[in-house]
Amino acid sequence: MSGSENRSVLLPDRFRDPYTFENVISMQGDILDCGCADLSRVEFIEPYSMVSFLLMGRTFLRLKGEKLRLLNIPMHLNQYLHRMDFFTEGVFNVTQPVEHNLMLKRSVASKRLIEITGIPNKERQSVNVISSVIALFRKRAPGILKFWMDESVIDYFVTVISELCQNIFEHSLDTGYLAIQTYKSGSENIARLVISDSGIGMMQSFGSRPDVVYGSGAELIEMALTQPLSSKREFGYGLCQVNTIVERLKGTLFIRSESSSLTALYNKKDKSGKHLFHRNGLAHFDGTQISISLSA
Amino acid sequence: MIIDVAKIAKSCKIKLPDLITRPVGRKLYATVKEKLEFAGRGETVLLDFAGVKVIDSSCIDELIVRLIQDSYARDFYIKLRNVSPISEINIDSVFSSYSNYRDRRIAVVREELGRNNKFYIGPLSETERDVIDYLRLNHRASVTDLSIFSGMEKETASSLIDGLTSIRVIKKENGDFISI
Repeated sequence: MSGSENRSVLLPDRFRDPYTFENVISMQGDILDCGCADLSRVEFIEPYSMVSFLLMGRTFLRLKGEKLRLLNIPMHLNQYLHRMDFFTEGVFNVTQPVEHNLMLKRSVASKRLIEITGIPNKERQSVNVISSVIALFRKRAPGILKFWMDESVIDYFVTVISELCQNIFEHSLDTGYLAIQTYKSGSENIARLVISDSGIGMMQSFGSRPDVVYGSGAELIEMALTQPLSSKREFGYGLCQVNTIVERLKGTLFIRSESSSLTALYNKKDKSGKHLFHRNGLAHFDGTQISISLSA
Repeated sequence: MIIDVAKIAKSCKIKLPDLITRPVGRKLYATVKEKLEFAGRGETVLLDFAGVKVIDSSCIDELIVRLIQDSYARDFYIKLRNVSPISEINIDSVFSSYSNYRDRRIAVVREELGRNNKFYIGPLSETERDVIDYLRLNHRASVTDLSIFSGMEKETASSLIDGLTSIRVIKKENGDFISI
């Protein structure tokens, strides 16, 4: 932190994947106290970190009734965030708007991404949004899934988007966000789908099911992935289905809920190797955040 | 009776090619149910999914599972046609979960051979699969025929066939068993 009246939290360049973003989550208390974040050190933001940071901004707005200030956003990052509709929700106060002529062009860049889209927590509105997102995804899928192109992969993703978005309005009791992007990291092409909310997390949601017994938050996440559990119904299919599909696609799945996370590395799974990794005791972050990635 | 699901979806103003979410499943179910008022006892209702790419688990639960449940009470049979590979996976997953959690298996026959190399979707055993395939080829068989074919004792074969009849993946007619 620097200064007194105009103090800000200097954020590290840790927006590169769900694991490095834990650093930023651990600074959430300071950010919410201070109300101002300095992004001058941040060089790159991937979709999971972007959506999680948006949720952080929304939490600040809800708690304090004012917008989180963002300072010193590098130009390329600012352009990217505008392009992804990061500022459309109106939860941030940005001191340096991007000039219109410097905005990234939508027609060219639209092929490999889906901008941040709000998933409402009301069933009827949500159904319309999910339907529109899927229609848009089908249109842009040849670009997003360029390196994995196969008609069945598109259908797999449609199922995943549908299942996870429905979980938002059925279980989190809050609005959530979806974003998709294919980007290059070193020599690797990564397609990442992110669906996150800051509502009721999984442990809280399963509080209504005393018959579901688990040792830790990560264990519950694994149970929900591998068994047809539901916090609302007798049994459910959604997360199990998603897990099956990610395994078929040999992708990676990261789920974080409240203070726990689970990583499933199906791209590295072999007959004997461990591929599910639990983490507990993380800094608390409301809701459930999910990232699904394919790499090529 | 043939039910063109895509046509019904269009009439309900549901966007194709994907049938997703519970409200969509409920809307389709209500419309299909109206049509089923005209189905005769023991009739096979062919649900044709041509033009549909993805049916998600919520929609399967609200539409297909409910229709199968209705088929027990109202005495008709469900058969699927033109099910896409991803929908086959989704239906299979829903049926497996359902069968694990309720003390009752559900399965459904289909017109074309699926990616699973079977003419049905659902958690059935290899022997049950053989019986369905046999009936598909021969259309009609007695317990004796099926006992000889499967190499099972007549009593065991009878119990297995009764199980398939009770989940309505084969029909019983005048003491014989026939394919759907």
